[in-house]
Amino acid sequence: MLRRAKGKWTYFLVAALLLFSILIPFDWFLGRYTSLVILIGISTMVTVGLCLLMGYTGQVSLGQAAFYGTGAYISAILSKTYGVNPWLAMLIAAAATGAFAYVIGYPTFRLRGNYLAMATLGLGVIMWILFRQLSQYTGGPDGMAGIPYLSVGGFTFNTPFRRYFLVWFFCLLVLLVSQNIVRSRVGRALRAIHGSEAAAESIGVNVTQFKVKIFVLSAVYASLAGSLFAHHLRHVSPQSFDFLASVKLVVMAVIGGLASVWGAVFGAATTRILSDELLLRFGELDVIVYGLILMLVMVFMPEGLFVKLKDVVAHWRLRYEQRGTKS
Amino acid sequence: MSQSVLEARNLGKTFGGLVALDKLDLAIETGKITAIIGPNGAGKTTLFNLIAGVYTPSTGEIRFEGMPVNRISAHGRAAMGIARSFQNVLLFGNMTVLENVMAGQHPRSSSGFLEGALSLPKAHREEETVSLKATKYLNLVGLGIYAQQEALSLPLGQQKLLGIARALATEPRVLLLDEPGAGLSTIEKRALGDLIHRVSEMGISVLLVEHDMPLVMGIAQWVIVLDSGKKIAEGTAAQIQKDQRVIAAYLGEDID
Repeated sequence: MLRRAKGKWTYFLVAALLLFSILIPFDWFLGRYTSLVILIGISTMVTVGLCLLMGYTGQVSLGQAAFYGTGAYISAILSKTYGVNPWLAMLIAAAATGAFAYVIGYPTFRLRGNYLAMATLGLGVIMWILFRQLSQYTGGPDGMAGIPYLSVGGFTFNTPFRRYFLVWFFCLLVLLVSQNIVRSRVGRALRAIHGSEAAAESIGVNVTQFKVKIFVLSAVYASLAGSLFAHHLRHVSPQSFDFLASVKLVVMAVIGGLASVWGAVFGAATTRILSDELLLRFGELDVIVYGLILMLVMVFMPEGLFVKLKDVVAHWRLRYEQRGTKS
Repeated sequence: MSQSVLEARNLGKTFGGLVALDKLDLAIETGKITAIIGPNGAGKTTLFNLIAGVYTPSTGEIRFEGMPVNRISAHGRAAMGIARSFQNVLLFGNMTVLENVMAGQHPRSSSGFLEGALSLPKAHREEETVSLKATKYLNLVGLGIYAQQEALSLPLGQQKLLGIARALATEPRVLLLDEPGAGLSTIEKRALGDLIHRVSEMGISVLLVEHDMPLVMGIAQWVIVLDSGKKIAEGTAAQIQKDQRVIAAYLGEDID
């Protein structure tokens, strides 16, 4: 019964996506929200990495914005200051950020217990300071402007509408790859680590190695998102990568349901709409809202708002169907 | 060449000033069911964790089928063929019963991040094999019908069987069982005894640490008795039951 209800939910989702994608080709449909939807896509990419790291493997990162920022700045500096091809810059940024995460992750994960949260918290603050202080390269607190657009052949992604497709192409790729990983042998090993590290070791899972690898993968996702962000806004500044940015990313992952890859889209969308549209007038008080959301979700629906909503829909469908069969 | 699946020579482990195991020499015979017994604090669990690779020995060495394993990590030993269950079971609560056993196939499969991410045919074929083998081990312990249930929804007795199925799925040559009978009813203990016999018949050496004397005496072909970190006796169940030193250790009598 439950399985059937779940199937119905999938049909609903597919129908909604189809409808959405039919409307997408019309610029008027997104209108002034194009930029918001692009940013949702970019945030989703980072959030998916956090879901793999936090939800599946059980490791908390409080400094994911550091990798997001590293990707953005490397892309920005290489393509603008040194005139490197933006695609190549993006690749170099991803590789460098991955290597950076490896260097941070390897010693951290060799320690027992959850030292990653502390280490990444520190890392986030340090990177933010570096972005501000290395003004010779990064433009300091004002950041840097005039980053070139990405282009393929003669086609330049110079309108928001074009970049919408670009960003969501990458986003869907990241979602798909992550979904595959979750369903594979590696995904099972990651969940085993979350379930019990001692038991995971006992069945031959190299716990440290898997933790480092998934940490590196999440950093690479964040870096790709950062590069797209830089080429989208054509302007990067330290504020986008401060501690609050890391907290928002965690909020996205938590709302989406940590152990659900597709929930990341929902989490990123909800949080982005909150932060970019609804909470603007409250200034810095928005931190309180994020804190409240985190607490409420963790206490009342630890499996995440997205998963909870799915359950509720499935429950009502089931009741509806039962009523149908009785009469 | 060696008759012993596991050997310990001069094995010792100290925690700070506490000597948990003291210059222990022992050999676990291949293909047999061996039990380690002893009063609380005798060093049974320490020995167990040393063999499984959770602790590193302070002195001496452990050999598995003649090969020194001191420098090999716990996950490396699992891959070599040393599997274990846990006293507190430690199932993966975020998985179904079947997935728990499939996880046990980890060292016998090889798809990595790339194969998984791209969902390559190799990964799919391997997943099918893993799933089939896991079902086989699940049926062996009699939990086949619960395959799709949440692992932690099972009662304790069945959770313990699932823990053994997960360990068996690593296709070990020696299976270490840490107090498998603890918390089980008499009927469940009988089922457990039968299962251990079947495992032994599959050619897997079994080493168990157990408090439950009827269970040990019923299934163990060789019994090793530890007290205060030292081996005080070993022999068949019948010999051990008559051994004066063992009786003294358990009843706290002085024999000198």
